[in-house]
Amino acid sequence: MEHDPELMRRCLAGDDSAWEALLRVHTRKIYNLCYRFTGRPGEAEDLTQEVFIKIFQTLKTFDAAQGAFPTWLARVARNHLVDHYRRTKKDRVTSSLEDEPGGLEEKPSPTVEPVAQVESRERKELLQQALDRLSPDLREAVVLRDLQDLDYGEIAQVLGVPAGTVKSRINRGRLELARVIKRMEGMRGPAKAGSRS
Amino acid sequence: MTHLELENLASEYLEGQLDAVRRVQVEEHLRECGPCRGLVSDLQHVMELCHSAEDLEPAPWLIAKIMRATVGERKPTFREQLAAFLRPATEPRLAYAVAMAVFSFSIIVNAAGLNLRKLTLADLNPRTWVYQANRTGHLLYARAEKFYYDLRVVYEIESRFRQLRSEPSQQEPETPKPEAPAGGSTDRNLPGAAQLASVERLTTAAASSMGRAAKVADKGRSSSP
Repeated sequence: MEHDPELMRRCLAGDDSAWEALLRVHTRKIYNLCYRFTGRPGEAEDLTQEVFIKIFQTLKTFDAAQGAFPTWLARVARNHLVDHYRRTKKDRVTSSLEDEPGGLEEKPSPTVEPVAQVESRERKELLQQALDRLSPDLREAVVLRDLQDLDYGEIAQVLGVPAGTVKSRINRGRLELARVIKRMEGMRGPAKAGSRS
Repeated sequence: MTHLELENLASEYLEGQLDAVRRVQVEEHLRECGPCRGLVSDLQHVMELCHSAEDLEPAPWLIAKIMRATVGERKPTFREQLAAFLRPATEPRLAYAVAMAVFSFSIIVNAAGLNLRKLTLADLNPRTWVYQANRTGHLLYARAEKFYYDLRVVYEIESRFRQLRSEPSQQEPETPKPEAPAGGSTDRNLPGAAQLASVERLTTAAASSMGRAAKVADKGRSSSP
């Protein structure tokens, strides 16, 4: 597989296949980032497309000296998600009562036991619903660290804040997430809460 | 260390990013404080939950959709067109089909007795192929028949010789040698004489069967042009 700098160079030279290769490498990551922010697969797809359109239009402004391509991509995606969050805040408040919970549209795997599938699905739903209840600042820090596996330095670059702030946000985000999950597990019943051990 | 200090350091402690002094302080506090132990345990559970969450697969058409939205419908390059054209040729079933075709062709050429180096126009006539195949079949049949008869005769002669060798040695101790009567030879009455006579008969039969087989083979050959 070719590396990002080489693909970028070819993209800038007008090679469409290089752009397609870049998409194949990074679409999944950006889609998951969008999904963790929105909790809705359809909305995450639209946002992923918008992020890549923005990336395509601003490809020439990428400066490798300021960070690696994935970090730049995550920063552009994060800024777009924040804009989207602000733009749709009003709509979300009015429609949240009508929406069904963001379903995880997954095909059941034939090799996994049905009980394990149900448990796995419940865990994913629990996590997504708990993430949805965090404030955007804390959510993005936790998502970038624990779900996207970025290190503290990369997260600081993506969010544009000092590393100390990143550490503090990640810690507060996790604590808040733990409280929310505990509350939700308590509401679902002691049997399910006990099953985690 | 206070509860608040521990709460602030909990994530760094779980990620192993604290220096030795701080880590010892946190561990001492956790040994004495039940609620803080619970808090660290909950935090660990959250981290495990996040790390065990698998990435979701985007819809398969998403990349194509983005491609259309950015560069439009992309015309495939000559290389991609060529690869698409040659893709069926790389499949194993085509190789099997070609191998079977070559095999069948070689069988037909052999049966028709065609010499590919000296091919004439008459060789391409299907009637010639049928004639040649018929001739080859007859020849094969005649040779097989001859081989079968030869084998049978040889086997019979061998078994009779074996019988001859074994019979005198069995009879000698039992029957005393008769005295020769006066007035003529009694060679015909010797036990081996009758056997030798039968071997002679057999040899004659073998010669006649070989002659018959040779005739059959000649008949097969004479059917060729």
